[in-house]
Amino acid sequence: MMLANYIGAVALVVIGFYAMIAKHDIIKIVIGMGLTDYGLNLMIVSIGFNEGGTAPIYTFGELVSGMYFVDPVPQALTLTSIVIGACVTAMALALCVRIYKEYGTLDAREIRRLHG
Amino acid sequence: MTYDVYMHFPVIAIMTLFVGAFCVTLAGKREKLRNVIACISVLVPLTLLSLLIKPVMMDGQIIVYWMGNWEPVEGYAIGIAIEVDPLSLFFGLLVAIAVTASCIYSFQYIKQDDARGSYFTLYLMLSGGVMGIVLSGDLFNIYVMLEVMTFAAVGLTAFRTWNPNAREAAFKYLVVGSVGSTCSLLGTALVYAQCHTLNLAQISAILPGNLNPTMVLAFALLFTGFGCKSFMFPFHPIAADAHGAAPSSVSVLISGVFTKTGVYGIIRVCYFLFRSMGMTSVQTMLVFIGCISMFVCVTMALNQHDFKRLLAFHSISQIGYILTSLGLCTALGVAGGLYHAINHTLFKGLLFLTAGSVLYATGTTYLENLGGLARKMPKTTILFLIGAFSISGIPPFNGFYSKWLIYQATYEKAAETGNIAFALVTVICVVTSVLTLASFIKVGHSVFFGQLAPGCEKAKDPPAGMQLGMGILAALCVFTGLFPNVMMKYIITPAVNVVYNTSLYIDSAMGQGYAAEHLGDAVMPLMNGQLPLIGSWSPISWLVLFVVVLAAVFLVSLTGRGNRVTTCEPDSKHAVFFGGEAAEYSHISGGDLFWGFKHTMRRYLGFMSRVHTGVTNDYVLWAVTATAVILTYCFVFML
Repeated sequence: MMLANYIGAVALVVIGFYAMIAKHDIIKIVIGMGLTDYGLNLMIVSIGFNEGGTAPIYTFGELVSGMYFVDPVPQALTLTSIVIGACVTAMALALCVRIYKEYGTLDAREIRRLHG
Repeated sequence: MTYDVYMHFPVIAIMTLFVGAFCVTLAGKREKLRNVIACISVLVPLTLLSLLIKPVMMDGQIIVYWMGNWEPVEGYAIGIAIEVDPLSLFFGLLVAIAVTASCIYSFQYIKQDDARGSYFTLYLMLSGGVMGIVLSGDLFNIYVMLEVMTFAAVGLTAFRTWNPNAREAAFKYLVVGSVGSTCSLLGTALVYAQCHTLNLAQISAILPGNLNPTMVLAFALLFTGFGCKSFMFPFHPIAADAHGAAPSSVSVLISGVFTKTGVYGIIRVCYFLFRSMGMTSVQTMLVFIGCISMFVCVTMALNQHDFKRLLAFHSISQIGYILTSLGLCTALGVAGGLYHAINHTLFKGLLFLTAGSVLYATGTTYLENLGGLARKMPKTTILFLIGAFSISGIPPFNGFYSKWLIYQATYEKAAETGNIAFALVTVICVVTSVLTLASFIKVGHSVFFGQLAPGCEKAKDPPAGMQLGMGILAALCVFTGLFPNVMMKYIITPAVNVVYNTSLYIDSAMGQGYAAEHLGDAVMPLMNGQLPLIGSWSPISWLVLFVVVLAAVFLVSLTGRGNRVTTCEPDSKHAVFFGGEAAEYSHISGGDLFWGFKHTMRRYLGFMSRVHTGVTNDYVLWAVTATAVILTYCFVFML
């Protein structure tokens, strides 16, 4: 079951990279960045999953040995990563708006005043 | 003071910067208050970290601070740690110095800009992020700080509203940087999957010696991720764009501090977490990348016409030196790399600040429009020359000593392993150094010497605050050049020592004997505090010689003074050629200075210039290709 998740995660990352390399529309590049992030989040949350485990919500008293629950740390990491991903997207889109105002285009091939 | 007091210093150093970032916003439009807050927030970390030199560097204490007092339970680190060993402190000090000098400089410098309030918020966020990375002992924390730092840096790159290229540079930076971030996060997740911990010390105990395919993948990804942050070879174009667009005071941080986090990460990953530096394949990879970065970027720099863009390429070229030296995996190599890291921060910071002063005074950094500023800006010229001599490795300035160490280290490695390729590396290092000098002659000639360019008549030295910022860095450049023995003894050697004795680092975090238990025979032998230097270099005697020669020249020139005949009227020498007309302005620009060399190399230079297309997609392609190549290389040669 987890294998499907890993394959899905890698596929998302690869599609994201493809969009960033092959698509000249800078909005699509931002979408590619987003896809990469989603793939990554899926990967991390799958790493912490245990087949048949319960939610990791316990207090100190309830915790006895032999309990079986999913690893909470990757979930915390994923949450952080989602927040960071959202910020990256927001910031990149804000820059896109400014670039469109200044260059009059969203084509990455024409946004190259800095080169050489 | 006892150990308990020192324990809280690193966390206060990080928190001050972040709290300062918020307080600066509260100050609103009250400029004085804002400057005072910013000044305090950068001086506090500097003071605290300086106080740590005694216990950490000299007494060999390693400070471990568990956030919320969540100490390890049964050999598992469950809390987030801040671990300060000499290596972390080394980078922390470097960050604190660069941030302080640049902050003092920017009070005056950003007066021309709008949105001054957000400048210091972002500035302190960037500093706090960098400080968090180098002092943290938790892999995921490092990733979060890396992102904080990248956001702040992107924000600061796009900050200049009047610079038409700023948004473009920031966008490229964000997109290509996100490839690096993706790699480092994926690497972190894979390390967690294998070790079930994120604590650096614990990973360094568990991981080495258990290299399975997952771990090789994690290694390659973390390496690429940190390599992206250090702007090594295929990631370099974004750095050049960002430096050109960002305010100079921010370029100091991006070049001097931001890239150092990449270098720091590579040291932690290669020497500590995976302990893979002993493998010839990893050494070869790092040295190869270092050499390419240093050569490609220095030749790119020769082709540039913008002061700051040229400096940016040189910055990456110097990072190439650091990576090469670290890749040798000898004590001398690590020492050379670390010494060059601190020197790079100092002289590159100084050069960017002088470029900023030129921009401040004349409104342009385009080399062809500048000229003859030495007469108008004498102090800036002297500071620029100190920086230029340092970066080109002219004795007795600091660049010479670290490059000398690097030459020695590469050559010794060649002798040790019998591999002639390492001797070739020495040659590349020397050639790069020569090309660096060449391009700084070009800059010096076209900006500061020659005839005064039209439009530069009103240029004058920048205000005292900016001079102070540059002066601090210049003084440190001279200090680290003149007293390398002091630096080696108190700063570099302890840091090199801890790189070679990772068990010290592991034991102080996880409890005595933890490293021996997990690493067993893999514990590296203690290195004695002495570094094996083949040649000796005494800057003091060189300086005495220099002063004696200077005095002799002065005396000789005095003897001729009485006989000097001045019959010509000023300007009359031109009159012969111009039939009485006034001389026209004729500027020998930087492009003309090395035209022969550039003409011979035109195929190569033209090709390099063409491949740096400036299209975001191409740069992402380079980055992804680099990741793929490094992954393949690691799988083929490390398993």
